[in-house]
Amino acid sequence: MLPADCSRRLVAELRDALDSCAQRQRQLERSLRVSRRLLRAWEPAETPVPEPTPGPETDEKVPSSACSPSPQDLKELELLTQVLEKAVRVRKGISKAGGDKDPSVKSESLAASPATRASTRLRASGWTGSHASETKHPRGIRQTRVPAKDLSERRLVSVEDPTCMGRGARAAKVEPRHRSQQIVPLAAPQAREVFTLKDKGILLQLPMAFRKAASQNSRLWAQLSSTHTSDSGDAATTAKNHFLQKMQTTSGWPSSRLSPAEVEAEVGRLRKACSLLRLRMGKELTADPKDWMQEYRCLLTLEGLQALVGQCLHRLQELRTAVVEQQLGPWPEGRLPRASSPCGGGADTIRSPPLLLYSSTQELQTLAALRLRVAMLNQQIHLEKVLMAELLPLVREQEPLGPPWLALCRAVHSLLCEGGERFLTILREDEPAD
Amino acid sequence: MGRRRRRRVDPADAARALPEAIAVLTRTLPTGPSPETFRRAKFDRPEAAPALWRLLFCVLSPMPADGASPSLALEAQARSVKAALRFQGYPRRALAQLPDDGSQGGRELLLALAWLLARGPTLEQLLAQSRVRLGDEMPVCECESLASPGPAVPSVEADGCVDTRHLQWLMGKLRFRWRKLMASQQEQCALLGKIHSYTRGCHSDRSLGHLSVTETELLRDPEGGQQLLQRLERENVRLEAALEWRRRELVFWQWMDTVLGACPPEASQPTFLPEIPAQGAAELELVVRELQALQEELQAAVEPRRAAWEARVGGHGPEWSASRRALQEAVRQDLVALQWAWERGGGLTQPHEPHRLVRTEAGAPEGRGLQATEVIEVLRSREACLEVVLGQLQGQCRQELARLVGTLPGLIWIPPPGR
Repeated sequence: MLPADCSRRLVAELRDALDSCAQRQRQLERSLRVSRRLLRAWEPAETPVPEPTPGPETDEKVPSSACSPSPQDLKELELLTQVLEKAVRVRKGISKAGGDKDPSVKSESLAASPATRASTRLRASGWTGSHASETKHPRGIRQTRVPAKDLSERRLVSVEDPTCMGRGARAAKVEPRHRSQQIVPLAAPQAREVFTLKDKGILLQLPMAFRKAASQNSRLWAQLSSTHTSDSGDAATTAKNHFLQKMQTTSGWPSSRLSPAEVEAEVGRLRKACSLLRLRMGKELTADPKDWMQEYRCLLTLEGLQALVGQCLHRLQELRTAVVEQQLGPWPEGRLPRASSPCGGGADTIRSPPLLLYSSTQELQTLAALRLRVAMLNQQIHLEKVLMAELLPLVREQEPLGPPWLALCRAVHSLLCEGGERFLTILREDEPAD
Repeated sequence: MGRRRRRRVDPADAARALPEAIAVLTRTLPTGPSPETFRRAKFDRPEAAPALWRLLFCVLSPMPADGASPSLALEAQARSVKAALRFQGYPRRALAQLPDDGSQGGRELLLALAWLLARGPTLEQLLAQSRVRLGDEMPVCECESLASPGPAVPSVEADGCVDTRHLQWLMGKLRFRWRKLMASQQEQCALLGKIHSYTRGCHSDRSLGHLSVTETELLRDPEGGQQLLQRLERENVRLEAALEWRRRELVFWQWMDTVLGACPPEASQPTFLPEIPAQGAAELELVVRELQALQEELQAAVEPRRAAWEARVGGHGPEWSASRRALQEAVRQDLVALQWAWERGGGLTQPHEPHRLVRTEAGAPEGRGLQATEVIEVLRSREACLEVVLGQLQGQCRQELARLVGTLPGLIWIPPPGR
């Protein structure tokens, strides 16, 4: 068993690591839910302000705003449906003989028989072909939003396929059936049936209000960053500095004091210095000098690194003496972690977000995986250092070198040297039997 | 009446300038208090205090990334503000002495706000933090606080002694979570790739080409889309106000001078040392220890090499010293560059902000943004570096343990297989 304070610190560190992992997982899960939902079938939103329809072609594709159908239209639809239901049945019989390409679709359509009627009703509306009365229908039906749309529309598509001579693409199915242009607007309700991003994603269009706001947004951000870099407020800057100066002098604190934030930042820099210096040392030590010049250079570099380490240590000693440890007690519930975000603290944040271009899903996955791997390694290194700082002294201090100590050694070895994944074996050499 | 007032500032204008400037300021702040609050604060009226405490809390705490944090009571907010200001080195002692219940201190709080505004691009940073993100963003730097979390909150359970097995169990759990994270991340990337390729050509901005998840989502869910639009519009209002603030802020700073002047001077403080939180002190010690260890290793490496070198250097000619000097200079510059790497944060070429993901055809014209291939290269080399570091650390431990155990006779250590 480990001593209490050591246990507490180590457990706290590991729990921190687990928590930050869990937090990332939660964020990812949220994004996954949204993305999965987008890739299933859904209804594109009706734009609240009806967009000016540029032409019949667009009508067919862009979901238009809805009005409720007039009873007249519905009655006529009913009539047409009954006529054409018959036609559907006939065609179905023909195509069935010709072999089914979509057995799953078939079962779907069979299962939805009440819906089928409603769907063929809709379908029939598209087949108004050469009827004279249809000139009234196109407009009405274009704006018609069929009430029981969801299930029936979905089933509609599935019924469609076998009658469509096996055409797979749902978007394409509309075209070959309808020659006359008047029929084209009628496709609008059908275009709103099963919408999947895969098939009809390229037909989407962002609403106008949003586009305006977004472009204004990026314009304003660009302006904000450009005036920041130019010295538009010289007088203001002077006034600000004057104010800060006065604040400092009236407060009675020496201006040379370091704020805790600055101390922390400096310690962070020196920690980074340590790892960079260590890396460099490793590189020099593994290099194999071939001639006297390389040997001399290696020596000089190592001595230079030594000097730098000395400087860093000196700076740390200065910081240490200039600072006293503060017992802040339990942090208030709304603790302010890293009051200023370490990232993007400069003027660079103020541009519109720069782009990261990728060309394939594979590339994106590699990129994301590497990012996670780097983060994980950073965490592992941090944990390793903490564990080393806590556990090695324990092993050193314990004098009784009996079995408990061996067990501790073995456990510490596994934690520190194998990441807790593997264990070594310790054998005791027994005296020979004789 | 009809007089042109071009050169001379009309006194009425001047009198209006300050309230207008303050009004603009409140428009750009996140929870803008009313301009009246500012006026009251100058005269140290108590009613101004609560609004200013809340504003300072908002300014000093980063926006919660996921979900809204439960709003805190005023006392808790006040305490957090004090701690944060102390952390940043706020000079005035009077603020720390204000009561937490928000019953007084309007003027001190106003001074604190002005101090924060004067010190850095506070307004711009605030705006950037709460910026509406329309694209699918991916950070390009490592600045996420995974390695150095906030101060460790003591766990709820009893602080008993644990066995090393408990630690091993926790590490196994951590490993499992990472694996799960990797798998989820891969799935998310695959989905993103699909969404991007299915919506190509839809975006009004040709340079982007396709929609992002946020944009597609707003087409799927009109209510959510409305909310997003409103957020965008609110942000636009704040941005416009920030731009206007730049034109008007001078009069505000002149006014703040008078506010400061109205304060009684603070008694000169007994010199006492700045404080850092306990966690910062621990980190300092850790770095000291690491550097000391490094120093010992370097010493062990340098001494024999220097001795060997001195032994070899016999009498050499003048060309010898010339090339030596050249080498010395080269090494010196090398090390200066190395030092620069940690002092300046790795150079300004390292991008720090999250980038918007855009799917393009391979071989698209360069110059539009960062290429994923470049970032992958950088990350690979970073990964290799970190693996080396981790390996070194583990090797150190192995040596140390072997040394400690080696004193015992009669034991055979069999290292685990398969490394």
